[in-house]
Amino acid sequence: MTPIRSLRTLPWDWYPGQIPDNVVVDKTAYIETAYSFYLYRSEQPVGVRVGRGASTYLGTMFDVGPRGQVIVGEYTLLHGARIICDAEIHIGDYCLISWNVVLMDSYRLPFDIRERRRELDRVSSRVPRRVEVAVPTRPIRVGHNVWIGFDACILPGVQIGEGSIVGARSVVSADVDPYCIVAGNPARVIRKLDCN
Amino acid sequence: MTDTIELTPGYWTNGDLPLNVRVGANTVITSDYAFKRFRSRRDPALTIGNNCTMDGVHFAIGEEGRIEIGDHCYVTNAVLLCELELRIGTYVVIGWNTTIADTDFHPIAPAERIADAIACSTVGKGRPRPHIARRPVVIEDDVWIGPNATILKGVRVGAGAWIEAGALIVRDVPPATRVMGNPAQYIEMP
Repeated sequence: MTPIRSLRTLPWDWYPGQIPDNVVVDKTAYIETAYSFYLYRSEQPVGVRVGRGASTYLGTMFDVGPRGQVIVGEYTLLHGARIICDAEIHIGDYCLISWNVVLMDSYRLPFDIRERRRELDRVSSRVPRRVEVAVPTRPIRVGHNVWIGFDACILPGVQIGEGSIVGARSVVSADVDPYCIVAGNPARVIRKLDCN
Repeated sequence: MTDTIELTPGYWTNGDLPLNVRVGANTVITSDYAFKRFRSRRDPALTIGNNCTMDGVHFAIGEEGRIEIGDHCYVTNAVLLCELELRIGTYVVIGWNTTIADTDFHPIAPAERIADAIACSTVGKGRPRPHIARRPVVIEDDVWIGPNATILKGVRVGAGAWIEAGALIVRDVPPATRVMGNPAQYIEMP
């Protein structure tokens, strides 16, 4: 007997998991594998929204905590980014986001050593072993038509303006104006783009 | 911390641990590739303390390498490349896709590099490899290391230091400092 596949499984998927119920995927969008939701645990009405024509490929991980919300805009390509979200990460339309890019809106653990130890003491008795302590979060906003090169890190609170490019391996710790090319670690503006 | 609960012995989710690996109580190692590049002949080659989580960590330890990790560490998908010695303290957190290496893997001088390429090749069987620089790496207690960071040979990261995401560390980091960038520079703790 052929097993009945739920509507939340992907017919082409190698991974036996499902797309969680509070993930809204446009019918024209493409999700390569439900493994992208292996770390997903959002309890929001909509934890991830993937827009029209957007694609998420192998290696993309939605590491979204209970209060996290991720929006992936229209025609955006996610080619293996790690999205660490405990508040809100908003990615605009027509974005190109490369492999091993880290977008994080939270450090997940406190800066204070004693508080950090207290949480690490608890982690090892949880199943699965997840960090669950409340720490300040700072949402990330990536504008439309932004291109982020591989291995780049986008730190908590960063806003990247429309049309900008982040060079490979850059670490972005401050806001990026629209229509700029930024590169380096920490990233700085290396060129302005013609916005027409 | 009070250890009131009876702790289960540490284990690897994907099989039997190599005989020269010692793992403390309540420590879990996950992923099928954890020991794919584990070739150490030392005993013990890898020691991990109690209550650690080693989620998707590569223990790429060469024949003479040795790694020691303290209690309560939380490491996700890090690549630990060790040809000599790597010591990690207690309550150390290491983020996703971080690399720590205590060696250069190949010599610097061009002629020696050719000799090394031959020694490593299919036709260089048994030929000794030239001397390769390697120096121990020490990560002290309570260090936080962000995702995509890189720590290279000879570095000592002082207790309580905070290594930002994507930082490249080639020099010692003093205790209780926060560093980011390439080259890494001091920034304020928030």
